Amino acid sequence: MQRTRNTGLAHLLPLLIPFGLFFLWGIGYTLYGAFSGASTAGGPTLQHFRHIFMDPLLRTSVLHSLMIAFTSASIAVAGGTLLALGLWTLPRRVQPLALIYKLPIILPHLTAAFIVMILLSRSGILASAAYQLGLIADTAAFPDLLYSNSKLGLVAAYVWKEAPFAALLVISVLTKLNFDYVHTARMLGAGRWFTFRSVVYPHIAPVLDTSFIILFLYTLGAFDIPYVLGGSSPRMLSITVYNLYFRRDLAVRPQALALLTLLFAFSLVFVVIFFRITRRMRGREAAV
Amino acid sequence: MKGFMRDGGVVRGTSIAGSSAVKRRPGVLDPGSTFLFLLVLGLLFLLPIAVLVLYAGARSWQFPQLLPRGFSLRAVEFVGRQYGAIAASLLSSVLYSLAVVALSFLLTVLPARALAWYPLPLKGVIEALFLSPALLPVMTFSMGAHVLLLRLRLSDTWVGVVAVLTVFAYPYMLRSLSAGYQRISPDYTVTARNLGAGFWTSLLRVEMPMLLPAFGAGASVVFLVAFSEYFLVFLVGGGAVASYTGYLVPFLKSSDLQIASLLTLLFLIVPLVLFFILERWMSAVFSKRGLNNGADKP
Repeated sequence: MQRTRNTGLAHLLPLLIPFGLFFLWGIGYTLYGAFSGASTAGGPTLQHFRHIFMDPLLRTSVLHSLMIAFTSASIAVAGGTLLALGLWTLPRRVQPLALIYKLPIILPHLTAAFIVMILLSRSGILASAAYQLGLIADTAAFPDLLYSNSKLGLVAAYVWKEAPFAALLVISVLTKLNFDYVHTARMLGAGRWFTFRSVVYPHIAPVLDTSFIILFLYTLGAFDIPYVLGGSSPRMLSITVYNLYFRRDLAVRPQALALLTLLFAFSLVFVVIFFRITRRMRGREAAV
Repeated sequence: MKGFMRDGGVVRGTSIAGSSAVKRRPGVLDPGSTFLFLLVLGLLFLLPIAVLVLYAGARSWQFPQLLPRGFSLRAVEFVGRQYGAIAASLLSSVLYSLAVVALSFLLTVLPARALAWYPLPLKGVIEALFLSPALLPVMTFSMGAHVLLLRLRLSDTWVGVVAVLTVFAYPYMLRSLSAGYQRISPDYTVTARNLGAGFWTSLLRVEMPMLLPAFGAGASVVFLVAFSEYFLVFLVGGGAVASYTGYLVPFLKSSDLQIASLLTLLFLIVPLVLFFILERWMSAVFSKRGLNNGADKP
């Protein structure tokens, strides 16, 4: 069997269908539409981008999405790390019980939104519990977690769904770390926090970064959860794009594509960082 | 939970003195912390599911009741009445998701082989490019992909849905298979080829059985990604292609929490059943061939 460059390249041909045809065509369509003017005669234009920056509603939508995505991805990675550390240090006997943490991974985002709605709405389970405990007198006294401007419900839904996913990624790296290091550090008198900071954290730092990027980019452009949890302005980027693209007249469609172009350019930076980190991680593994 | 991690589970100096009957390695959670950790896990992940189960069987459950008032089979009866529509949408979702798994496998098996085994120029860049559809927000390319499908007259068709789902789901299969190929030595194939087997024969009969665990891992993720997706199916399927997510959304947005809860629970059952079947099938194949299915076990 000759393993030459050319046979290797020939092996890649099947991917030209999903990647070359659909993916690149799709990106191309977005970019082309974003830079095209109203008439086909004119050259490329920046008018749609100018429109976005002038429109306070669109601007807020962008900033709001960045905030929600950053907050939920950060909390999900932190929570996922705690989860992974707990699972890693759990006595072997009870480990099968802990597998319930995988439930949110199986459930779709749609259902995460629904569960959050049931639990956190003003007449939800948590509000009922608060009433029974005498903390609130009626539904109005319960904070509006779902539909107020802070949109904590969105964050809760994303964190519930994504923290177990982050835990899964972190634990796959943790299992490669020799537990004897932790053992030794603890025997020599290192505290829990110090052991984590100096032994465990350096080992898992790259996967924390990559998990954050995956979750941040996903949340930034995802449609399902904000579609169910809805609510009024400020809206998530995906809902804004959807409304511009489908609900209004065709003349504003390029604005939707311009928003997507901004999203694409912004995401691309993180995608590049992501692959630089994974490459270093693999290099390190190969060196061991 | 944070507080628990900080002060719980600390095996203090006293245990080294040997007073405890059970020998525990420093760093492993002690029984108290273990119980707390499992309790938190239960509250976070089991309680919401339990609430769904209670809702599904509740006659009414309103603020400020902590538990439902009375039980009723209304939601179950509704599902019984709507059995045809629910089964049809579930079946459609399962079928197009399985088709996405199959198509992803067909499209990525050779590229994965090349990424693992062949010398390629700019291999890192090539791999990053091919994996990027899973990282970039779906919307950035789905609008254009939809227009392309419209032009190909594949919009609102089953084929169109499978195609567009494959575009963002195949990277998970590619990553999994190329990791799988990296764990297999090309020497097996070289031997098979030297003994006279052709390219496809050795691919099918030598490499595939060894690639099965990687396929299983990739297939589960691809299936979940396709099965859970709402937006793309709604965009490209246009209502003509039935999907369980599409069936479910109106209920999630309605105020009928009982029915929505029961339908949500159905969502959990299908993948669990399929994963169980996959697991059984894979171990059956392994025991038949006498292969070691314990790649992770010592």
